[in-house]
Amino acid sequence: MSRYYYYLILINMVANIIASVPTILLQYHKDGSVSSMALAVVTGTILVTIYTRFFNAFPGMTLPDLLMKTTSKWFYKPFIFFLALMWFVAGLITLVTFIFLLVRYLTPEMPVFQISLLLIFSIIFGCFMKTERVLYTIELILLITFPLILFIFYKAYTSKSIEWDFVKEAALYVNQLPNVNSFASCFFLFLGVANLFIFNRFFTKKQNFKWMHIAFIGIISTLTLFTTYFIPIGFNGFENIDDLVYPWITTSDSLRMEFFMIERVLFVFLLFYLGIAFLSILIHWHVSIEFLKYVFKLEEIKFRGFNLGKYIPILFFIAVSLLFVRVMNEYKLFRISIYFYNTLIIFFPLLIILFFYIKRSMKNADKAKQN
Amino acid sequence: MPIKQSKTRLIPLILVPLIFLLSGCEFKDIDKDVFVSMMAIDLSDDEDKPYKITLKLYVPTSSFKQSPEPEYSYITQSGETFSEAIRLLESYSDKELEFGHSKLIVIGEELLKENKSKEILDFLLRRPDIQMISWLAVGRPSAEEIVKMLPQGENAAYPALFNYFDDIGTESQYIVTTYLFDFRRRIGENGIDPILPIIEINKNKSHFEINKSLVLADKKEPHELSTVFTGIFNMLSGNAETADLIIKEDGHYFIAKIDSMNTKYKVTVQDNNRIKIDIEVSLIGFISESQHPLETQNLSYYNQLFEKYEKKILKDFFNEMTDKGYDPIGFGIDYKSRTLHNTRMSNEEWDEAYKNAEINVTVIPKLKSTGTIQ
Repeated sequence: MSRYYYYLILINMVANIIASVPTILLQYHKDGSVSSMALAVVTGTILVTIYTRFFNAFPGMTLPDLLMKTTSKWFYKPFIFFLALMWFVAGLITLVTFIFLLVRYLTPEMPVFQISLLLIFSIIFGCFMKTERVLYTIELILLITFPLILFIFYKAYTSKSIEWDFVKEAALYVNQLPNVNSFASCFFLFLGVANLFIFNRFFTKKQNFKWMHIAFIGIISTLTLFTTYFIPIGFNGFENIDDLVYPWITTSDSLRMEFFMIERVLFVFLLFYLGIAFLSILIHWHVSIEFLKYVFKLEEIKFRGFNLGKYIPILFFIAVSLLFVRVMNEYKLFRISIYFYNTLIIFFPLLIILFFYIKRSMKNADKAKQN
Repeated sequence: MPIKQSKTRLIPLILVPLIFLLSGCEFKDIDKDVFVSMMAIDLSDDEDKPYKITLKLYVPTSSFKQSPEPEYSYITQSGETFSEAIRLLESYSDKELEFGHSKLIVIGEELLKENKSKEILDFLLRRPDIQMISWLAVGRPSAEEIVKMLPQGENAAYPALFNYFDDIGTESQYIVTTYLFDFRRRIGENGIDPILPIIEINKNKSHFEINKSLVLADKKEPHELSTVFTGIFNMLSGNAETADLIIKEDGHYFIAKIDSMNTKYKVTVQDNNRIKIDIEVSLIGFISESQHPLETQNLSYYNQLFEKYEKKILKDFFNEMTDKGYDPIGFGIDYKSRTLHNTRMSNEEWDEAYKNAEINVTVIPKLKSTGTIQ
């Protein structure tokens, strides 16, 4: 597989640490989080395989392209609009979570409004880039931040302060039925593959997707989930872990690097994660805008030869985000994230039915052409 | 192409005036901040305002040459809550108090005896600017005195107290190091009890003495560990890497310098909730001091003496811990990490069983040499 394909999957997995996924998982630490994680790894890897196989069959085609060819207008227009909305919300949740984090830890004296605008503008500029440029940006930022984040994880695993007895204690809660909310939040990690709906445009050649690649994704996701869930427990204990609002922030603050430039890892961690969160929002909103272009034919809206249409959704994006930042509090955001993740576990498996339908109609169309 | 040219000119024309709207850095300059170096939390005499907070502030100087001596200023305030005290403290300082660089929190002994550790912890954790990697310690007789004391030989700008805990300075076997996050996880969990170092001042008020520790437990009086037991705790928990152990046995009196040690323990539960704890300590080192001449061929005999004596001390330590029901090593979580949650005994049952636990100590002595002389 192309390395860009892995970036799409990896970003969604790594970015979850800053989102509410660990908070949700640790909230249900005594109600089946461990088994949910195991279940999510299996189902998630299957989903990734099916999605990748499907898009691999149609190199260079986006989902809207395929839908236009095979379904009628009354179906695909509202459907793609719904998808656009979904991707926008996914980006929005990450954005608001990160803004809250920045206000709390990095710049407590700066108005929320300013921070939001700063982040939104930089992301919006990214959204306008061509799809392949977005992928190049992802590679560039990942190359800078990812090794350092891996280094912080390495430091956490080898730290003297991590108490493996807590980890073992938590792992022994495996004999419980999986919990829907935990499962949904773990499942979200695997949905990076759904970005292929638009990004498949970039993969114009048929890719080689074998068992090895599936196993690789399975291993990476297991490691990510393990780190997400067990490292905070190792540092903060098992019993009261659900008290923590941002478990990973507290965990990174519990790390000490006495010979590093900055002793307190928290700030380094936050800055690197700013990069990762930026990428995650960038991908989601780019996909969302591309979807909207299909629905409303935005390129055709022109004002004296100037392409105005492209900029219309941006105004909505900014307005809704700012409103959201203002209305939300941590608890509401947490609830909304749970509801959002829960709808995803129903929606994305159901899409597979649509894929079968598309595949069949495309085959029939091909046959008709040959005859 | 007149239209395109005017367009490219228009953009800078709009952008440049925007620069004048920028108001500079809105956050405070560094010289308007004053950094808190450590915090002391005490019980005050006033019943309405039980918490007394003392802050040790760095006095900013322009260069090291200008003030080679350490310089600090102190502010103190009591309050009904911590935040009330801090709010008032902010009015005593002309600069913004910055807690982000505070590395040590000293809690007065009196306050800990009042069982207020949950309230203290809540305040320390809820503030995002207090480091989770700050050290916690107990101040005797009061935290305020510890914080205000300037020991001999203190460097400018780096308080001597930090050196005791940060593993770069002294590496004494008697100093317990407890981070804030460690304290939090130990308080919440049943099966491991928090332990804090006790900081004392010597009689001449010239230096600190940190060689005792305090074990806290829920709804119980804090229990003080003596110097020897503190050393043993550090050895067992892996805090200390080297140790000097005294052997007084069979007319011999010598000191073993241990440079490598390894502790293993295992908790097994027999029927009727009886606990058996097996502890295996292997100590590798050499003899560094003796009151009588030693002979190399008798090393195995010295090893026997060493084993016998260490076993006795370790047994004393564990008996004291189990009899009173304190568990700073964490046998409880070791048990929890080995049994499924629905089959293990309840916390109360464990506490009861721990008091009657059977303890087997095995010491594997590995004295390799008598030092450079016989």
